[in-house]
Amino acid sequence: MTTTNTGTEPTMKVYVGVWLGMIAIVAIEAVLVRAHVSSGMLLASLLVLAFLEAAVALRYFMHLKYEVPLLFWTLIPGLLLAFIMMNQFWADAARMTTLRFPAP
Amino acid sequence: MSMDGMHGTAIGSSPFLISSKKLTMWLFIVADAATFGALLFGYGYLRYGSPDWTKPFHFSPNVINALIMTVVLLTSSLTMLGGVAAAREGKRGATLKWLGATVLLGIVFATLHLREWSGMFHDGWSLSANPMHGSVLVGALFFSITGLHLLHVISGVIAISVIAIGFQTGRLTAGHVETTGLYWHFVDLVWMFVFPLVYLLNVN
Repeated sequence: MTTTNTGTEPTMKVYVGVWLGMIAIVAIEAVLVRAHVSSGMLLASLLVLAFLEAAVALRYFMHLKYEVPLLFWTLIPGLLLAFIMMNQFWADAARMTTLRFPAP
Repeated sequence: MSMDGMHGTAIGSSPFLISSKKLTMWLFIVADAATFGALLFGYGYLRYGSPDWTKPFHFSPNVINALIMTVVLLTSSLTMLGGVAAAREGKRGATLKWLGATVLLGIVFATLHLREWSGMFHDGWSLSANPMHGSVLVGALFFSITGLHLLHVISGVIAISVIAIGFQTGRLTAGHVETTGLYWHFVDLVWMFVFPLVYLLNVN
């Protein structure tokens, strides 16, 4: 059997609290769409909220908070670096709009 | 020195202090996260580079339906945690109930998703058709991203069912339940990005 390695085991009460927090984040996301904010602001806000929600899920639901820190440092920074590297291609996405053939 | 002795030396103490199957699941999750990340970045590039992009969704019923799906999936993560906790305490009956609830919620999510797809097909959407006469990439990307996620949900439902039966019969351990739970929470985590980026940013 696998056990958690650091800290105390969270109770269902903690999990329910985290779940309620995540539901609240989803509600805020829905309200933002109804608020008719600018598309740039909406994208930035939704991304921040999604990363916040993902961080909470990783720490509590996936127990990363209770594992040895080495596991986090082995897995997560490399993945984030890969995502940062993917931003290299935005310039090509912008170039696509000027590469189209004119309509007949 | 015997081979057993060599193996004992090689794998005796993991620096991560977790079982090999749990570490393997973590490595799979990181690889799968990179796949979904690439898919979502690809969606971003193509959307940014498509001046004729169309937004197919309305707050009601599309976003309302997606909100219900989100709550269902988040709740299934909670029931999965209940299953892991019960399995650790060796409570077979309680584990089966929690995992059964997780499977049920997974099926509800998949049903709502397929019902939504069915409605979109009926309206003329497909991988290569846009009834709003905009970029066909809208349907292609929507069905590809949500389809891959749905495949993960269906795989998870099957895996949890198999694990629940195995744990009930004593063939599998609480470690198996925990490792499967890790996968299920990851499926939930991916949806946390799919929901805002694919649904909320495409509300007309």
